[in-house]
Amino acid sequence: MIVQELRHIQERLGWLPKEEMKALAERLGVPLHRVHEVASFYPLYKLSPPKGVEVKVCRDMACHLRGAPRLRQTLEAFAQEISRPGCQVTVEGVSCLGQCDRAIAVSIEDHYIYKGLPESQLKLCIETAVKKGKMPYRKAGREPLGWKIDVYNGTPHYEAVGRFIRGDLNAEKVIAALKASGLRGLGGAGFPTFRKWDTVRRTAETVKYIVCNADESEPGTFKDRELMRRTPWLVIEGMVLASLVTGAEKGYLYLRHEYPDEEEALAEALREARGKYQVIGDSILGSNRKFDLELFISPGGYVQGEESSLLEAIEDKRGEPRNKPPFPVFQGLFGKPTVINNVETLSWTPGIVLNGGDWYAKGGVNGANGMRFISISGDVAKPGVYEAPFGLTVRDLIYKYSGGMRDGQQLLAIAPSGPSGGFLPAVLRRENLPEKFVEQKMKGANIYDVLDLTLDNGTLSLAGSMLGAAFVVYGDRANIVEQALNCVEFYRNESCGKCVPCRTGSQKLVNMIQELLAGKSSRERMSLVGDLSDTMILTSICGLGQVASNPIASVLRHFRPDVEKYLAAGR
Amino acid sequence: MAADSPQQNVFAAIIDEHYIEEPKLVQLLSAPPAKITIDGKEITIKRTAYATDPVTGKPFARPTTIYDAALQLGINIPILCHREHMTPVAVCRFCVVELEGQYRLAPACQRQVEAGMVVKTIATSDRVKNAVKILTELLLADHDTPREAHKEYGENELRVIARQLNLDPHSSRFPRTARDRGHDESSIVIAVDHNACILCDRCIRGCGEIRNNQIIGRMNKGYRARIAFDLNEPMGESNCVSCGECMVSCPTGALTNRKFVLPQVTERQTNVQRITVEELAPHPLFQGVSKQFLGWNEGAIVRRRFKAGEMICREGEFGNSAFIIESGQLEVFIAAPMKHVKARKNRGKGDKVNRGLFGLVRRFTSSLVSTKDDRIDHRDGGASGHPQRYIPIDAPVSLNFDDPVATLTADDLIFGEMSCMNNYPRSASVRAKTDVVVLEILRNVLYILQRNKKSKAMLDEVYRRRSIEGHLRSVPMFSNLMRDEDRFRQFLEDFRERMTLVRLNPGEVIFRQGDAADNFYLVKFGFVKVSQKQPGGEHVLSYVGPGGYIGEIGLLSEIPEIAALAPPGRRVATCQALDHVDLVKITGAAFQEILAKFPEVREQLVQVALDRLHENEVSRQRAETTSMGEFVRQGLMNAQSLLVLDLTKCTRCDECTKACADAHDGVTRLIRDGLRFENWLVASSCRSCLDPYCMAGCPVDAIHRKKTREMVIEDWCIGCGNCAKNCPYGNINMHGFEVQEEDPNHPGHQMAVVKQKATMCDLCSELDGKPSCVYACPHDAAHRYSGDEFRKIVEGRQR
Repeated sequence: MIVQELRHIQERLGWLPKEEMKALAERLGVPLHRVHEVASFYPLYKLSPPKGVEVKVCRDMACHLRGAPRLRQTLEAFAQEISRPGCQVTVEGVSCLGQCDRAIAVSIEDHYIYKGLPESQLKLCIETAVKKGKMPYRKAGREPLGWKIDVYNGTPHYEAVGRFIRGDLNAEKVIAALKASGLRGLGGAGFPTFRKWDTVRRTAETVKYIVCNADESEPGTFKDRELMRRTPWLVIEGMVLASLVTGAEKGYLYLRHEYPDEEEALAEALREARGKYQVIGDSILGSNRKFDLELFISPGGYVQGEESSLLEAIEDKRGEPRNKPPFPVFQGLFGKPTVINNVETLSWTPGIVLNGGDWYAKGGVNGANGMRFISISGDVAKPGVYEAPFGLTVRDLIYKYSGGMRDGQQLLAIAPSGPSGGFLPAVLRRENLPEKFVEQKMKGANIYDVLDLTLDNGTLSLAGSMLGAAFVVYGDRANIVEQALNCVEFYRNESCGKCVPCRTGSQKLVNMIQELLAGKSSRERMSLVGDLSDTMILTSICGLGQVASNPIASVLRHFRPDVEKYLAAGR
Repeated sequence: MAADSPQQNVFAAIIDEHYIEEPKLVQLLSAPPAKITIDGKEITIKRTAYATDPVTGKPFARPTTIYDAALQLGINIPILCHREHMTPVAVCRFCVVELEGQYRLAPACQRQVEAGMVVKTIATSDRVKNAVKILTELLLADHDTPREAHKEYGENELRVIARQLNLDPHSSRFPRTARDRGHDESSIVIAVDHNACILCDRCIRGCGEIRNNQIIGRMNKGYRARIAFDLNEPMGESNCVSCGECMVSCPTGALTNRKFVLPQVTERQTNVQRITVEELAPHPLFQGVSKQFLGWNEGAIVRRRFKAGEMICREGEFGNSAFIIESGQLEVFIAAPMKHVKARKNRGKGDKVNRGLFGLVRRFTSSLVSTKDDRIDHRDGGASGHPQRYIPIDAPVSLNFDDPVATLTADDLIFGEMSCMNNYPRSASVRAKTDVVVLEILRNVLYILQRNKKSKAMLDEVYRRRSIEGHLRSVPMFSNLMRDEDRFRQFLEDFRERMTLVRLNPGEVIFRQGDAADNFYLVKFGFVKVSQKQPGGEHVLSYVGPGGYIGEIGLLSEIPEIAALAPPGRRVATCQALDHVDLVKITGAAFQEILAKFPEVREQLVQVALDRLHENEVSRQRAETTSMGEFVRQGLMNAQSLLVLDLTKCTRCDECTKACADAHDGVTRLIRDGLRFENWLVASSCRSCLDPYCMAGCPVDAIHRKKTREMVIEDWCIGCGNCAKNCPYGNINMHGFEVQEEDPNHPGHQMAVVKQKATMCDLCSELDGKPSCVYACPHDAAHRYSGDEFRKIVEGRQR
């Protein structure tokens, strides 16, 4: 109970005084350091009393690209102006708030998250907060957008659960449908969903868990946000289905705390699922099956999106990743077999169960399988969340879905997996690409137009990148080396600090890119960056450390002239 | 590697039960052995391995890892965060190996063996070698030489690995990130230098899973992460017990032994002989202690030789060491006279009383008094006038009131622990009776002895065998019993069988008000704060020191009179260790048995319990019936006799103070300053506070509360001055008296020495009945009221 109890203390007092932590430790019968290591780990918790109004400006990717550093300076100056004794306005940076399509995101007092407000209005909001007035805030819309995934068209029926309970469906049939659909994890790692469910179903253990990873925190990723707000019943039904298939009777939906509108929508849907629809509780639809689902609000931190760190957080520990194996399907939450799926993955399952595997599988184009939601942000005219087929070309995504480039800019680069996959330039050169990609895709040509790339797992890994849910587009006004620094800084800021390569390596990468930008680097240093990058990939415990160097490594590979320019400046 | 060295692991312990109960492990125990290949060598290995608990020597099972298999094959894999006896955390990644068919490297210390694994280690894989080199350089870039490094410290493991990899152990290709992560020198034993810390978590596991002290954790995240104690307290202010496990665990000297205490012993004395680790190691008391730790503390243990007649320590001196007796006989005694201070009226001219400097017009004079009839002993249950009374001291014996001398030999093993642990004044003087050899040890060494299994067992055994008798004799509650020596012997045997020793750190709670009552405790050394929730907050009822006992009330609730005053089977107060406290514990069941067998103890105990309960009740009722918070907080409610000055009449002539000084040999016991209520000033004189700080720290248990809550100083006060120092109101004064004493340098000869005694306001009760201060006031401004009377006066004014 440490994590949630600390949150209650903070809600009551605005911070965590030592006496309260001591009392909590006594109440729970845990050593003091157990409370402190948790309290000092998560960004939500404050260990000193707030001095006044806290303003936080998102510092990552799309917001950075759209001028967050400048906005922060302006607000800092304004804060100095209006601060007065007894009420200090502090302006700080904050990691991605998941509002990349409405950059720049600014949070005030952690509760109010403003998206793309002009400076003048932000200042008014800050003034209101200083005067302790009623904060202007408009909740994000919940209306359905006619997505294919929304098989209930805005009105939940929990039909799939109904069929299961009535006996029209059983675990084998669900697994078969999932297998036929080819549904893979849509949180990034792309593990076949049926296999997770089947493994947990077959385990000899009796206590099992279903966990939904709704800790969407990777810069550029915000599609789960829309799914949870507009179709919250889908993810809930997905979790109930997983419980029916595996026999788990307890589930956690782990939600990032910066999604208050989504929390509200989910809480409402959960209430209905319990009361009106009776698909959660001691007796699902009057049957002898039961499933309890708890909404677990994250105390913050990107690394919690790593599944084992997320489990550690639910277990009241520091959210540090575990050494794997053992994998969560064997030893997950509280050491028990656990299905962990992303929000979108779970949200597709009712449709697949009701309409069959083919319904989903056939949604792909250009030979790819299935459908997915893409978060697109950066220098495009219409950033947002789009339901799209796998196999879509970059060209179609940018020009058909997203209204083309913003302000008539030329395409400089794409980041097809947020910061984690690094950057791909508008024009890919043969010499910078893996042999297999050259063989299979380039047919003897020397260059490859990035717009021709199809967005599916196979193609992007061939190209030495990754396919994620985030797609960030950079126009030609961006300085790619500086953008790489921004991405690596994100990983440095979010590293949990458990293992040496990530904790120290991410900091050294930042130091060395800063040197490069300052014209104080050398070829030897850049080759050391390459060696460090290899070591981080090979030895880090979790995905965070394994991808932290990708932004700078991709720039060294594809944008060598930009790097040389800085190296030359230093000579 | 150091993992193989028994010294390194000497503090390790207890993980076995935990592991054996793991169902996963049970599965592995029955799994067929796995055949794996490491660097081209094949081995068929069981799925569970045994590690040895270096303290008990007992093996415990855990899953076999690649590292275990490599060890068996004689293949060396570098490890930094891993130790054989700790749960692997795999945070440093130095032990990574290549697994066939896997792109990423795996930590050998944590990855369990599986049949068919093909492993390449740093010896054969360039990928591994390059990665480990980079990791080493990453850590070296920010690693400082510890601030308190000293030459005795073992090799820095990070630098050793760097050298093995042909890297310069003092440089790195990576830029240094300029950030001072700070250092902490608040602990007297252990220095912390965060700049030398590589966050391997070995100290955390040492503190948590090996010693189960649970003080160290990680704090913050990412590059800002570091270790912290409790809620990020300075180490010295945390609940750290200075067991030293973290120092032993630390590979880089970020946690090192502080040596600044060292010179005190060696420089001060002349008869001192340094003692080496090799000499010390065979000593039974030190056999369980890590040689490495003894090495670090060389000089904190010295051998001292005394000729017959030489003094080893004197009562009242402050000490920070304890003595282990190696050979010879020692005499332990209290030299201060067994007397208390009394004021007497002068008998006019021709009076023989020495008037001294202040003897001008004094009507009174103070002197030391004690006769069989006028003996002060106000301890709970102390049968007045009983011949067999004993004074608790900081040694395995107690001293008889009438003949405060005893002998110690090597069988008694140790004395002076309380002074050593808590910096109390010596409670008695010790002189060599024959030629004597002792080991003098400083606090950090005693800490370790008390916490080390083998040493602790020895110390406990000596207590059980020798000291318990003296201890029980000094407990007033058992005084009835001592009328019959046979009964006492019987009782002693019963008690001895059933007692266990419990050691508490400062601040540790023994039990809380409202808890179910389980055990009965005698205080061996240190002080226990007894407090109770009352209207207006937590009120301290008492400080219980050596010779005292706690926990009897909750165990006596079947007695109707007690049941009427206390909730049945529940604790009526909270008891907390004020400093390092040793308690003798008797379980509730055993306690009941003993009581049934010894009705005389039971009778005395019930009486004391009733007195205690009654006092609590009175003080609670007083607190309830008053609305004046400050009045209660300042303890005025319980005051027996406040000197109250009516400021509308007082001309500040200070006659009251002068009169007090006159009445007490020129040493005033009151100060005309203090709390104000309206136009009343409550002058500082002993007010029998709710929280009598003065009681905490008396090394011979000589300051007490009477049943009426007045404070009183017993005859065996040794004049150390602790109570005077502790009184926050300056109401206890030290008073010097000249007495004759044997000259230690010329045995057989007497010499004059000044002996101090603590004094406090006695309301001139020995005099005419009216306190001098009141008598002296020419303006009728000085009054003496009880707390209750004064409350009525003040409340009357306020209405």
